[in-house]
Amino acid sequence: MPEWREELRRRLAALHLAPAEEAGIVEELAQHLEDRFRELVSQGLGADEARRIALEELSERELFEGFTEVLAPARPAAPPPGVGGGRAGWVGHFLKDLRFGLRMLRTRPGFAAVAILTLALGIGANTAIFSTVNGVLLKPLPYPESDQLVTFWGTAPEKRLPVVDYPEAMFLSFHARTRVFESVAAYAVAGVSLSGDGDPERIQAAGVSTDFFRVLRQVPVAGRTFLAEEGTAGKNNVAVLSHALWQRRFGGDRGLVGKSIQVGDRPTVVVGIMPPGFDFPQRAELWFPLLLEADDTGNWYLSTVARLKPGQTVADAHREVVAMSDEFFLSRPDRFPDAKPGSRAVVMPVLRSLVGDARTPLLVLLGAVGFVLLIASANIGNLLLARALARGREMALRCCLGASSGRLAAQLLTESLLLAVLGGAAGLLFGWLGIRVIQGLQVGPVPRLAEVRLDPAALLFTLGVTLAAGVLFGVAPAIRASRLDPLEGLREGGRGGTSRGARGLSHGFVVAQIALSLILLVGAGLLLRSFQRTLKVDPGFRPENVLTARIQLPWPKYGNDTVVRVFQSRLLEAVRSLPGVHQTGLANRIPFSRGNPQQELYVEGQIPRPGESVPVINNRSVSPGYFEAMGTPILRGRGILGSDVAGAPPVVVIDETVALQYWPGGDPLGKRIRTTSDSSTAWLTVVGVAPNVKHASLRERPNFEMYRSLSQSPAWSTYLVVRSGGDPQSLVAELRRRVAELDPTLPVSEVHTMVGAMAESLSVARLTNTLLTGFAGLAMLLAVIGIYGVMSLNVNGRQGEFGVRLALGAAPRDVLRLVMRQGLLLAFLGLAIGVAGALWLTRLLGSLLFEVSPMDPVTFLSVGAILALAAALACYVPARRATLADPMSALRRE
Amino acid sequence: MPEREWKKGSAELLILSLIEHEARHGYELGKLIESRSKGVLRFHVASLYPLLYRLEKRGWIEGRWVEKAGQRRRRYYRLTADGKKVLAAQRKTWTAFAQAINRIAGVQHA
Repeated sequence: MPEWREELRRRLAALHLAPAEEAGIVEELAQHLEDRFRELVSQGLGADEARRIALEELSERELFEGFTEVLAPARPAAPPPGVGGGRAGWVGHFLKDLRFGLRMLRTRPGFAAVAILTLALGIGANTAIFSTVNGVLLKPLPYPESDQLVTFWGTAPEKRLPVVDYPEAMFLSFHARTRVFESVAAYAVAGVSLSGDGDPERIQAAGVSTDFFRVLRQVPVAGRTFLAEEGTAGKNNVAVLSHALWQRRFGGDRGLVGKSIQVGDRPTVVVGIMPPGFDFPQRAELWFPLLLEADDTGNWYLSTVARLKPGQTVADAHREVVAMSDEFFLSRPDRFPDAKPGSRAVVMPVLRSLVGDARTPLLVLLGAVGFVLLIASANIGNLLLARALARGREMALRCCLGASSGRLAAQLLTESLLLAVLGGAAGLLFGWLGIRVIQGLQVGPVPRLAEVRLDPAALLFTLGVTLAAGVLFGVAPAIRASRLDPLEGLREGGRGGTSRGARGLSHGFVVAQIALSLILLVGAGLLLRSFQRTLKVDPGFRPENVLTARIQLPWPKYGNDTVVRVFQSRLLEAVRSLPGVHQTGLANRIPFSRGNPQQELYVEGQIPRPGESVPVINNRSVSPGYFEAMGTPILRGRGILGSDVAGAPPVVVIDETVALQYWPGGDPLGKRIRTTSDSSTAWLTVVGVAPNVKHASLRERPNFEMYRSLSQSPAWSTYLVVRSGGDPQSLVAELRRRVAELDPTLPVSEVHTMVGAMAESLSVARLTNTLLTGFAGLAMLLAVIGIYGVMSLNVNGRQGEFGVRLALGAAPRDVLRLVMRQGLLLAFLGLAIGVAGALWLTRLLGSLLFEVSPMDPVTFLSVGAILALAAALACYVPARRATLADPMSALRRE
Repeated sequence: MPEREWKKGSAELLILSLIEHEARHGYELGKLIESRSKGVLRFHVASLYPLLYRLEKRGWIEGRWVEKAGQRRRRYYRLTADGKKVLAAQRKTWTAFAQAINRIAGVQHA
């Protein structure tokens, strides 16, 4: 009799019954077994055989099933037999799983927080970046059939001219001859002044060929677009306004169409209003017809936009543009004596040309954020896997009790879904915030950024990927584990061990996370170093305390050079007398302003032979005081002086790039250059050498620059440069007042500080750096969490082993070393793979890097060290815990 | 429905029927099921007792330790008022169910 009780107690132990309850069951079952035993003996069996049969009938598995169900918390009575269970459908199961899942999350708040936060960060970052990339790069332009719209231009890299616009004659020839395009339109961006009603105002405008709107398939909301005859002299005093301008300046007056407004000095009739949002090109607010002349080959200023005929491709268009260009040049030997066939041109979809420089950074960010998603997925997978293993005992038990693997999978799936929904909701918030942050970081030139909205497709996509990863990595191993011998699972689970396969998988995740983080950190590091290098570039001037403003003198009021000169010298005097102004000057172009007038360069005694290409030089006209106001030092000779007036010998200051090219080691002062091959053009005498000045970007390569005297080479459109003793912004109001005193109709536009203009030129780089650094930091954080989690799990599962080691005389230091070695092995494996991947991938950063090699050893070493240190810290905490294993409890368990 | 479920459902009916008129202990119930079904139905200790405990928990039967003269202390089960109602309902359902099966499957009574 006593042995029945002992056996029963052993077999019921796993149920963890209350002692009183267990005692009752044990007694009753022992009674039964004893009865059965006696019965069997009375049938003639031996005592051993009888005992064996009686115990055989005491199936452990059935006991579990039966008693677990009975002793589980109160449940509704089962329906009568034979009639299907109403609540046993999948909805019931799902609700039960959901409640169970919520309970699991509540009881493990740490796990829930890490999992949901990981998901939210991964999903949020991806949604924000993908929404941005989609909104800026991929989403079609808001014009009908915008995928057929292309733009094209000539190119002459050998003359340092990546973009060559077309003269009027050439455009008209294209327009007449094309077969690939349905139609070709030309445009040129210009600023115009509005006066008349209200304050004078300078706005962005575009001169366009008359079929411009038809090419873009834009229909006005009021009035009409241009007629073909409005491209001819006398009929061209008409304009089309943007919706925004119409609303802002004219209060949305319906009667405006047909009325005359003052554009520059010309009365101009408004013929149409465009729909809201239409602002092509370059946020234009007003369009006017260009007067195009079939014999004008001198002014290369026209940009193109063309619509491909259906079925024609960009490659077709490229062939035709090249052929048409060749034909144009070769048929005019008088104008282009050195023309050769094989003209060069670039044809590009309009969308791509608009996005321009923002394309590479955005694609890099998209790749980076994809890495973050992978790391987040690996983390979620690891978390779920770890938890599934920790719950192996529960799963095995439920499997023993007859739960099908389908039901177990459904439960795990429900839990993963619950996590995904919570993480997705938080991710939605993060994504929305992320887009706001990106838009907030950016002030300038990323096109279409302001219109970016959260992309539901991106959100669903990232949610799906993360979820799929979670299911694949977390649920699958759990099912596989539960399908193995359940009793084995019970036994192993009871000791908190982990199966070899699952451990390998989670180690794989850690290695992958470290590798991916390293690649991201290296990428971010390289960009940061490039950025530092960029900031250290000497721009050739001192931007601090400099204010600039554009002042355009309208024609015909300022119709001749003398009037212009008089006004400009009075302006300089008026501004110079302002308190706080140290120096001031005027120039037709200043650094980090738009546009770049260029001319050919002929150096006396070094004229290129026929057939040799003629170099191009950036042409600046500057007033006396300009160099001082900009803070550009004169390296040799002198700057432009007040004595360099019209009629005095024409002079020029060249930059050191020209000096080095033509007079290496010699003295350029007194040498002569000119800007055409025409012998009637005057030679300009070099009187000074200025340093190389960065004009468009701090990263540009040195160009040829020359500075002529503004009096000798007049310009109507100039920038005023003011150097002050303090904050230049404080001068703005006074500056505007002084200009208004001289001429109240003159608008003062593009008022910037030089520092601000330079910062804006770096805004794309700054945006990329900030985001990529953020992503790399996020990646490192996730990877550290990953390695910490896995090491913790390992240590927890091996407490017994460590206890035994300590009991057998190992020092805590040895156990620490053992765990650290295992963790660091994973970390270094990840680092090695990461370095290989980074060496391969950083080449893609290419154009974003500046004076930093994609294999920059400093970056690789420092990033590797940081990551190794972080990984070591993440291993140290669990390793410390391992040394605290209790030898006695370990021995008792063994 | 897997076989186990069939068995479980019908087992409840069997046990409720067997204690309808007098209280019985577990071993006796097992023997009775085996003998009355001529050995077709057998409940071993591991399946029988969880079933009894379940029925008791639902309040359909009641177990009580009784010490009869000349016998060991045993736990006897008897039907409760609720149990009587359930038994009546289960009998009705079972009969309807069996008839339905017969009508469809054409199983003839021996």
